[in-house]
Amino acid sequence: MEIKLESMKRALFVLLSLPLIAFSQDFSNEDYIYLKRHENIKIELSNHKFDIAKHVSEQAQYLTSKKLYFANEVMHFDSFTSIENVEAYTYLPKFDKKINVDYIETKREFDNGVFYSDQEAKHFTFPAVTEGAITNLNYTEVIKDPHFLGMFRFGTYVPTKHAQLSIEFPKNVTIGYIDFNTEGINLDFKKESLTDSNKYTWTVDNLKGFEGEEGSESVLYYLPHIIVYIKSYEENGKVHNVLNDTKDLYKWYASLVKQIDTNALEKVYAIADNVTKNISTKREKAEAIFNWVQNNITYVAFEDGLGGFIPRGAASVCDKRYGDCKDMANLLYEMLNHVGITSYRTWIGTRDRHYSYREVPTPIVDNHMINTVIIDNDTIFLDATDSYVPFGMPSAFTQTKEALLGIDDQTFKIITVPTQKPEQSLSKITSLMTLNDETLNVSEERQLTGYDKVDFISDYTFKKADKTEEEFLNTTLALGNNKTKYNNIKKTNFDNKNSALVISYDLNIENYAKSIGGKYYVNLNIDRTLSQSNIDTKDRKYSKKIDHKFKKEFTTTFTIPDRFKASYIPETLSFEHQDYGFKISYSTEGSKVIQHKAIYVNTLSVKNKDFESWNDFIKSLIKAYKKSIIIEQL
Amino acid sequence: MIKNLIFALFLATTTCFSQNYTSYDWSAIPEHHKLTKEDLKESSVGILKKHIVEFKTSVLSPEPRCFETEHTITRVNDDKGIARHNTVYIPMYGVKSLIDVKARTINAKGQVTLLNKDNIKEVKNVEEYGDFKIFAIEGVEKNSEIEVLYTVEKEFDIFGSETLQSNYLIKDAQFLIIPGSLEYDIKAYRTNAEFKDVTVDGNTAKLLQLKDIPAIVEEEYATPNANKIEVAYQCYPTGQSFTQDMFWANVSNNVGSKFFPETVASQIESDLVLITEGKQELSNFEKASRVDNFIKTNFTIVKNNNAELTNIDYILKNRSASDYGILKAYGHYLKALNVPYEIVITANRFQFKFDPEFFIPNMLRDFLIYLPTEKKYIAPDRIENRVAEAPFNILGNYGMFINSDYNYYFHKIDQEDPNYSRIYRQMDIDFENEFEHVSVKEYQEYYGHWSETNRAVLTLSSEQGIKEFQDYLTGSGIEDKEIVEYELENTDINQIEYNKPFIVKSKITSESLLEDAGDRYIFEVGKVIGIQSELYQETKRVNPIEMQYPNQYDYTITVNIPEGYEVEGLSSLVIDKSYSSESGDKICKFESNYKMDGNKLVITIQEFYKSHEYDLARYEEFRNVINAASDFNKAAVLIKAKE
Repeated sequence: MEIKLESMKRALFVLLSLPLIAFSQDFSNEDYIYLKRHENIKIELSNHKFDIAKHVSEQAQYLTSKKLYFANEVMHFDSFTSIENVEAYTYLPKFDKKINVDYIETKREFDNGVFYSDQEAKHFTFPAVTEGAITNLNYTEVIKDPHFLGMFRFGTYVPTKHAQLSIEFPKNVTIGYIDFNTEGINLDFKKESLTDSNKYTWTVDNLKGFEGEEGSESVLYYLPHIIVYIKSYEENGKVHNVLNDTKDLYKWYASLVKQIDTNALEKVYAIADNVTKNISTKREKAEAIFNWVQNNITYVAFEDGLGGFIPRGAASVCDKRYGDCKDMANLLYEMLNHVGITSYRTWIGTRDRHYSYREVPTPIVDNHMINTVIIDNDTIFLDATDSYVPFGMPSAFTQTKEALLGIDDQTFKIITVPTQKPEQSLSKITSLMTLNDETLNVSEERQLTGYDKVDFISDYTFKKADKTEEEFLNTTLALGNNKTKYNNIKKTNFDNKNSALVISYDLNIENYAKSIGGKYYVNLNIDRTLSQSNIDTKDRKYSKKIDHKFKKEFTTTFTIPDRFKASYIPETLSFEHQDYGFKISYSTEGSKVIQHKAIYVNTLSVKNKDFESWNDFIKSLIKAYKKSIIIEQL
Repeated sequence: MIKNLIFALFLATTTCFSQNYTSYDWSAIPEHHKLTKEDLKESSVGILKKHIVEFKTSVLSPEPRCFETEHTITRVNDDKGIARHNTVYIPMYGVKSLIDVKARTINAKGQVTLLNKDNIKEVKNVEEYGDFKIFAIEGVEKNSEIEVLYTVEKEFDIFGSETLQSNYLIKDAQFLIIPGSLEYDIKAYRTNAEFKDVTVDGNTAKLLQLKDIPAIVEEEYATPNANKIEVAYQCYPTGQSFTQDMFWANVSNNVGSKFFPETVASQIESDLVLITEGKQELSNFEKASRVDNFIKTNFTIVKNNNAELTNIDYILKNRSASDYGILKAYGHYLKALNVPYEIVITANRFQFKFDPEFFIPNMLRDFLIYLPTEKKYIAPDRIENRVAEAPFNILGNYGMFINSDYNYYFHKIDQEDPNYSRIYRQMDIDFENEFEHVSVKEYQEYYGHWSETNRAVLTLSSEQGIKEFQDYLTGSGIEDKEIVEYELENTDINQIEYNKPFIVKSKITSESLLEDAGDRYIFEVGKVIGIQSELYQETKRVNPIEMQYPNQYDYTITVNIPEGYEVEGLSSLVIDKSYSSESGDKICKFESNYKMDGNKLVITIQEFYKSHEYDLARYEEFRNVINAASDFNKAAVLIKAKE
């Protein structure tokens, strides 16, 4: 059984048909393209108060009638923004007919990650879309807080013929900007000095569509985009900074931190005292507190206005036993400092946001909060939202990222979260194999540490769903084949964060060995880690993301049945590269064939230029996996 | 939305009763329950789930009032259990007011944390589900018990239903209905337990109590969501006697009057020429297909609360309609082209089992158009379907068929053509460059639901989705597969010919299919058919067997053995598993065999499933057939030089 696998019109029309001929970029295979995506940000300032309006103007065309679902339009807003003056219509060139959008509804959505959010959206559907239809949308987004100018994406999921961002601002205002991934596109930048204002305009034509790929970095790593922000303004000869540099961003964060509710902290202190009683070293105390928060506070996120930026009071989080990242970070802060361990509230972006605080001094740079302690010159990042990460290791998704440690009202420190070494996520697999005709019996033990352990426990806890243990192991470990039977499944140290997780089981794999002409062909590689990781270099566009570095060490002992001998054992095969490699070797000791196999990945990303080398690695690994031993009767 | 079709049926009554919802409460001293060892292994366990529906009538309000109370006590044993129960969503759809809500957590030490009501949030107009009150449970730790109790007053509705089973074990489930002075009918599904007469605060009431309801588990070839234990009821004022026929007839008249237009709207005239391209001699099938194609490439189904989306003038002008309104458009085009049709009201069998014996408006979810002359269906609101057999997720459910005279009948929605869905494959396999790699040249024809799905994926998916689909169409699971040739035919989703095959011509190469073993080669021939599903069953099968749809596979695999070589170990290629009906006919099977034809090894496979439903008692036999394909996927042969 197969496995199966979501007036001006006429002038406009003339204008639109021109570029199709004039430009070389060919969009004729597309179903839907943006003819234009324009944003114009207008900033006004009076009495230290900013008025900011972003005018959005979009025009799209259906080149076929395949994907009419693009007619569904959504405009998001929250307590920092509002959507106004929406004007939308469909133009049908064939009939020279304009049909207005006459119904817009404000809706909310439930999000798996955020329990309650103040985000809402205006929804509507363009009428009468069909092949050839052109949809037009104009609206104004009012930005209520000058820290949130946001970003503009020159490209999007479908091609764009004409993308433009412009920003108009009073002459006493200074604007900062930084663009990303624009090397390969013809980005035009123009500065104009108007009567009362300055204007910057960025324009680009004929951009292809950008669609995420499975296993690649987040879209921000390759999508051309720009971040604009208000640096400062001058009034009466005095310069007032808004987000001139990281200092200003931190100053703003520090002002938000001051608003944290510090009531009833004695409750929190009592817990901290209780958790750390009988513990003498700072390190052990910190670990005990971290474990307590990890184990007792459940992740539930609220994003409600500035409440999305200000941690909730530590006592309230303790009472409720739930919180989001910033709530847990702040609770750790209160508990750790109370027991005499200096700790810092720490802002950080996850790996999906590859910005630096030094380059991007705006709140777009981060989306997460953790806690940092420095004990005996050892910097330890504490992320209690990851319920299974061991003390001492940062959460995997914060590796390589800059952490902004709040020292006091004015002072901060930026430290890069180090990448954890492959040896820290080590899996040791010991297998004892015996053969009974074509059936292979295996007794196996896996010791997992670091992120390998974290991933296994969280998959086991949350992804296992209603599957039985056997089906879960069969589909996740994929040992032997999908008919492998598991018995005596045991798990040790599931809740113990300091020791390796030990899983052991007995396997029975029918029809595994091939018995042909009195000889048995037995492949000892029941685990084929990475064998499906070949990169399709023909179509692949973006680099391959790896969640964490790891190392796997296998020791397999195959007992040769009585009255048999091993007539063939494969030669040693290996692949060595600084970022990845393996070695598989075989030896015979008495009645046993012993296989040693080591695989390591020592990088977090395989860049496009290294695809060939990576594929060489995978290819030679597959080749080595294919080698069987042959046993025959004495 | 079908509820709008039922007109007001109630009258004033006069008696006044005390209210139960005010006297029902949780126990003053909460208990941390003792659970069995087995229960403690579960992520969470429902200790109590009690649902109370109470109707009240009074002289002051002519309309009966309806109160619903939900009371749950749940033990959470681990992180997953906590994540499953620590947030509460109270739907406010059809709710007049939230009368009371409270929640508390009792941890293993017996400490109680009460919900702070200030933390209850209101969320307006969530997608298509209306408003909600939501809150997170406070003070939850592992091994805590979460107790939630709330009462809402709902808009009076004659019909209601409540699901009593969930995806976790419930030790005590109760459904209590206090009808007051109303007449009522009640029915429980998928349980043998019976309603008992009880008295609550002096009122007569009916109670259904169930102990130890197992978790409804996700299983392959099953419709678990539709298999839950459920209660449905109908309540109406005394003196008004309603029969089920009256409810159905009411729907039939309302639906009929809306979807069978007396005259054709003049706005569609210019479209008709585009649809028929001026051709006069079109069959009903072709006319309907052309209408279906036209509407699905010119109209959009809109999901919002705009009332105009059911107004035919608005629909034709804006080419936008609700999933219900779009039927009106079909009605006009089909009438204009003289295509006879019936309206079918039914439900997705993965969500609801349609019951012709008991009127439950909540189950009237899906609308189809039936073409009686062709015995085919149109699925108006499904962009992926075109005129054909009924969509697979309707198949096997009952439907209410309404004709142009507004008469109705019920019928099980079957497949007219038993061989509708099938795959034909022909493969030619060569070993190239001295056994360096294997090349597989393949010709495939997909029919029925297979071709429908393939066309829909190619039409609607993103570039990335289409790329992944290419892997599927050329045999999934071959680690180092390289696609050398790849050509598709008949990919257009807008077909006017019945069951035209979707054709794939491809050639792949792979080194990993061949294993070098000393001076011989092990060829994993089974892998060329792609990964096959495998049914695991350590625990007793719970759900009845329901497949997606009946289907058949016919494969011929020709392996060209190079000159000077011979092949051994062919026994793994012979598999014969089947399941026969009581009359002795094979209704599903997997059969593979081979023959040598000179230097060609010719393998033939036939696998079929004649029905989409199989007897639960014979699950093991069904499983053997399914797993046989997965066995074949492991088959390997040895190729060696002739001695």
